[in-house]
Amino acid sequence: MSPADTPPFPTAVSDPIIRRIVALFATVAAILVVVAAVALRNISRATASNDWVNQTHAAILELGSLRGSFLASDAALRTLLVTGSEQDEAACREAMSNLSENLEVLRALLRTDRASAPALERLDALSEGRSKLTRDALAARRGGKPEAIRSLVLADTAAGVTSEVRRIVEKLKTEQMALLAARDSEAYLQAQTTRWTVGTGVALNFLLLGLAGWLVRDDVRARRRAAEVLREANEQLETRVQERTAELAKANEVLRAENLERAWGAQALEHQLRYNELIVNSISDLVFVLTKAQNISRLNPAVTHLTGFETKELVNRPLQSLVRLGGAGRPAVSADPLAQALREGREYREADAFVKNRAGAETPVSFMLFPLRDRDRVVGGVVILRTREKGV
Amino acid sequence: MKHILIVDDEAPIREILSQMLTQSGFRVTEAPSALQALGVVDSDPPDLLISDLQLEDSDGLAMISKIRAKLPTLPVILLTGILFDEEVVRDSISKLVTAYLPKTAPLSRVLGEVRRLTA
Repeated sequence: MSPADTPPFPTAVSDPIIRRIVALFATVAAILVVVAAVALRNISRATASNDWVNQTHAAILELGSLRGSFLASDAALRTLLVTGSEQDEAACREAMSNLSENLEVLRALLRTDRASAPALERLDALSEGRSKLTRDALAARRGGKPEAIRSLVLADTAAGVTSEVRRIVEKLKTEQMALLAARDSEAYLQAQTTRWTVGTGVALNFLLLGLAGWLVRDDVRARRRAAEVLREANEQLETRVQERTAELAKANEVLRAENLERAWGAQALEHQLRYNELIVNSISDLVFVLTKAQNISRLNPAVTHLTGFETKELVNRPLQSLVRLGGAGRPAVSADPLAQALREGREYREADAFVKNRAGAETPVSFMLFPLRDRDRVVGGVVILRTREKGV
Repeated sequence: MKHILIVDDEAPIREILSQMLTQSGFRVTEAPSALQALGVVDSDPPDLLISDLQLEDSDGLAMISKIRAKLPTLPVILLTGILFDEEVVRDSISKLVTAYLPKTAPLSRVLGEVRRLTA
């Protein structure tokens, strides 16, 4: 497997995923902040609405009490005008005091409601009128003027103060009930808005957290895959290294064996050649190796020893320039018996032959020619000259 | 580890054979002469003898006879540059040695014979 076949290592798994997860968590946090702010604001509004509702309920109750106080003060005044006792006078003063107190409380409860201000002023005026009536009636009683008392009471009855008070109180109660209904609807809407805001925020956050979880799981899977790919790549690399090392070791072994084989072959060849040379050079007879044209291609040391020529002077020279066939004083043979013997591939021997030395002197020798065969083909000849002084 | 004794008067021949046999897991002793070879046989008997025919101080076959007198079962390879006819090898040489190999034989063949005879 070449390096190009190695599975690519997935490098782009970490940074973009981490950035996305951080962005998701930042979004979750922002949504939580928004939801918390909206919830807190709505809780504050709900609390304010609750306070106002309680205040409105209190105002409605106080209106009922005011109406009762007015009727009680009216009844106490009439009783006092009939009896004139000190006990009834004290009861009348207490009833008037309760009426004033009811008015003060109601004014405090409705101080922010500008629409009810004229009605409250009218109730103040009617309360003040009732106080003045009480004072005037008591003064007439103490002065012994029953007619004056009767005219004051008749005038008060004719004025219809009690009916007016009842009408004003009913009107204020109706207005407060209407406001109460409107703010109740508003509080319900706020509560619904809060529920939807919190619910939507929580759902969105769960969605984002789920997305973040999916991204984390995907990233973990990608990292596991990357680690697996890396592990497999390392194993493959290790295997390739081991295989390559084994191949190299084997190739080295083969190369070493081949080198030894070559050295052995060269040594064997050199030994063989040297041994053959040794054999030829050890012969005391004159040995020539001839080409088919009868030129000298090789000779042994016995030749140079007898003739005085050096080897380089004789190589490639015709044998006839050194050797003469035929007895002394006889004419040379006209036909070339050596060429004929080589053509026919047979031996040629002649008892009388002469070899010349450097000085031109001739030495009698016996002549032997053997065809040199390479497989079935005659490629030259070997000539052996044996000096006749040796008696051969 | 089998012990091989190489007897040859030519140092390059001994070195190449020794290197080849050492790499193949054999323990090798070299001897350039018959006299040294006989000394090795006495001090550290080999499991196989590889000998040349012509030594400086003796005839290889004579030396082999002396060694065989001491170690009759010792396998012997005659490794020589003299090329004998098959008939000569069959009728004469093979009676004196376990195997005959010409020096022109490849090293792998020499190693094969060594492994065969030391197995």
